[in-house]
Amino acid sequence: MTSTAQDLHPAPTLAPGRTILELNGLEKRYPGTHALKPVHLAFKAGEIHAIVGENGAGKSTLIKLLTGVMPRTSGEVIWEGKPTALATPHEAMALGINAVHQEVVLCRHLTVAANMFLGEEESRFGLLQQRAMVKDAQKIIDGLGFDLPAHVMLGDLTIGQQQLIAAARATVRGTKFLIFDEPTAYLTRKEADQLFELIRRLKGEGVTIIYISHRMEEVFELADRVSVLRDGTLVGTRNIAETDEPELVKLMINRSIEQIYHKEHFTPGATIVETKNLSGKGFENVSVTVRAGEIVGLYGLIGAGRSEFVTTLYGRHRKSAGQILWQGKEVQVNSEHDAIRLGMALAPESRRDQGLCLNLPVGMNLNLPIYKRISSNFLISGAKEKAEADRQIADLRIKTPTRHALASSLSGGNQQKIVIGKWLAHGAKLFIFDEPTVGVDVGTKAEIYRLFSTLLSKGAGIILISSYLPEVYELADTLHVFRRGKLVATHGFRTASHEDILGQALAEKQEKSGGQK
Amino acid sequence: MSTEAIAAEKPKRNFNALFGLTLLGLLLLMWIVLAVATPSFATTLNITNLLRQGSLIAILAVGQTFVIITGGIDLSVGAVVGFTTVIVALLINAGWPIWAAVLATLLVGIAIGLFHGFGIVKMGLPPFIITLATMTSLRGIGLLMTNGNSISINSDSFQAFSRGSLAGIPYLFWMVILVAIPSYIFLHHTRWGRYLFSVGSNAEAARLSGVNVPRTIFMAYVLSGLLAAIVGVLLASRIGIGNPTQGDTYELQAIASSVIGGTSLFGAIGSVHGPLIGSFILSTINNGANLLNVNTFWQRVITGLLIIVIVYFDGLRRRGK
Repeated sequence: MTSTAQDLHPAPTLAPGRTILELNGLEKRYPGTHALKPVHLAFKAGEIHAIVGENGAGKSTLIKLLTGVMPRTSGEVIWEGKPTALATPHEAMALGINAVHQEVVLCRHLTVAANMFLGEEESRFGLLQQRAMVKDAQKIIDGLGFDLPAHVMLGDLTIGQQQLIAAARATVRGTKFLIFDEPTAYLTRKEADQLFELIRRLKGEGVTIIYISHRMEEVFELADRVSVLRDGTLVGTRNIAETDEPELVKLMINRSIEQIYHKEHFTPGATIVETKNLSGKGFENVSVTVRAGEIVGLYGLIGAGRSEFVTTLYGRHRKSAGQILWQGKEVQVNSEHDAIRLGMALAPESRRDQGLCLNLPVGMNLNLPIYKRISSNFLISGAKEKAEADRQIADLRIKTPTRHALASSLSGGNQQKIVIGKWLAHGAKLFIFDEPTVGVDVGTKAEIYRLFSTLLSKGAGIILISSYLPEVYELADTLHVFRRGKLVATHGFRTASHEDILGQALAEKQEKSGGQK
Repeated sequence: MSTEAIAAEKPKRNFNALFGLTLLGLLLLMWIVLAVATPSFATTLNITNLLRQGSLIAILAVGQTFVIITGGIDLSVGAVVGFTTVIVALLINAGWPIWAAVLATLLVGIAIGLFHGFGIVKMGLPPFIITLATMTSLRGIGLLMTNGNSISINSDSFQAFSRGSLAGIPYLFWMVILVAIPSYIFLHHTRWGRYLFSVGSNAEAARLSGVNVPRTIFMAYVLSGLLAAIVGVLLASRIGIGNPTQGDTYELQAIASSVIGGTSLFGAIGSVHGPLIGSFILSTINNGANLLNVNTFWQRVITGLLIIVIVYFDGLRRRGK
């Protein structure tokens, strides 16, 4: 049942190619759903094994089974030749199985060092050795080449940096089998590169890596083998050298999508919004114009000032200088309320923190901005409330049993559709999307992009912020590059190369992380 | 549409209604058991007394629920009750017409709610802290104003109200109905009610959706203050004195009623009928324990245990769905 004591110590290097973990008909049923149909799969020691699939394909279920978070319904798990129960997280950790989750599951109010040693604190005579832990943590972080301090509060770091800390933490625990669940969803390119370096190093040390990602280019960059899940079934495992993106996409969604990046060109109409030398906290002197029917892309590293610029435009922060012209007239946008009244809509970066009321029904979320309109004499019209919500659910193909289902019960992609849907009902003119496809699968991505076209065809304009270059590159009619709070370059649709744009975004740091697309 | 489709369409609603019914079932069951076990329970005198006892907490619990739905808490309501008994007593004794004295007292309740809103929204204080502060201070101010003495209200017509009844039901219980119906409509059929839920669920998302979050928070505490002042007036009428120490632990009973009624202390979950039933469950426990000659000290213990049991089963039910 339980593991042997040797597992608590760092793994001896295993000969590559040896099977470390074998799944023999692993299966999970929930009441009413067959989340994972019997899976037969053998992981080799020291391989990077990518797992891809749409949201709801069974990836999370598989991770939960492998990390002992949930018990399996049936099947066998064989760890280093011996069957194991893998019934509790503790058991998985004792074997050397760890996971780095998409959303950081660490304590924001503790220091980086305290987090790294959480549960395995160094102490002497029952007293914590805080200084020693900070020193040791710093040594580990430096050793991994991350430029991060160990003594600060975890919450003071960006989400990307927290993710790196989470990865670093997993490496110090005698890990032999490490699962990464969408680790780059919130990382900048530079941070992602640091993470990839770490992953390759771990592989060199004989650690088996499971790498889950929606980003195909990362799969091809990192993985040795890739397995595809669809509707809870393992539909195939390929050596990375013997497959290509179209094949994987076809396996994943069981239909070929010619073009994920659905791009329609519309003749630009009247100017919706124009900023003239707008300055504020985190950015200065930004002049941007958005016309009806066009997508204006803002690309740059996290912290380059893109998000600060749009939140100021949206009235969250006060501008310090410059002008905002709305349909040709200068306006003062002093609050989100003003922005919404003008006709702006913001789909924020962090869906869970800013976009949705998760424990409220889908319908209520969709109608939140328009309750004023669907009320008369203070009372909400039940019929209108139902009609508006059902219309958005149908139009956007939001997969939900009813409008009464809680937003938290939906998949990430469908949650994103709710965030967009509530503004459609509102009839906004300018849509600001901040990282709209983070953590969203290929199929939903394509649907979100198609939604952009729908918005444009109705005469709206879009500001699209993304840290993912292909996204802005393939979609934006005008692409602005931000660096350190300034707008440093502007391109037309596909008029510059990826390398040039990356270079402009990174500039003096001379990061040459281009070359992969 | 097939029956399955209909059944599948509103699982949540049915579930909530079912839960409301179960609580109501529990209340009725307690009444039946008490009626059989004691001869004095099912008498007109005792029932009207029970309704009077439960009414005050019921009204407070509704206000408390508005606040809790936004993710806050109002610890001051008991103190507001005590304080407003003093205000209304002083005004009536000063010769104000009853209607004017009552109106002024209600305005005091609103002012206290505005102060809470100010503390939370403008000063950034946690609701727990600002209402804890007013809870202590108001009692102190009341004691200063009265020098620690009770003020007898010299108006018979004012006191007659709490003793009167209409169609066999005490006026005090009619007040519950008078509060409950607009509250229900407000919470479930106006956008303001929706905003309370959205702020409690995710204030940031609500704000980005154009909800005026500060105004919504102000509204919740003003309503709670107003309802507490109404209870203060009713209590003064019932007992005939103004005394700042009255309404002791009312805030805890109101919170307990709300939680028994299915309100989540984390916000965004709650109703009007739940707290109402919850408050009458609590007063039935007290009433029944008195009739059964249970030691009053034990009553407190039993009440505490029942709160744990009821809320635990509520949690099980929610998770089980």
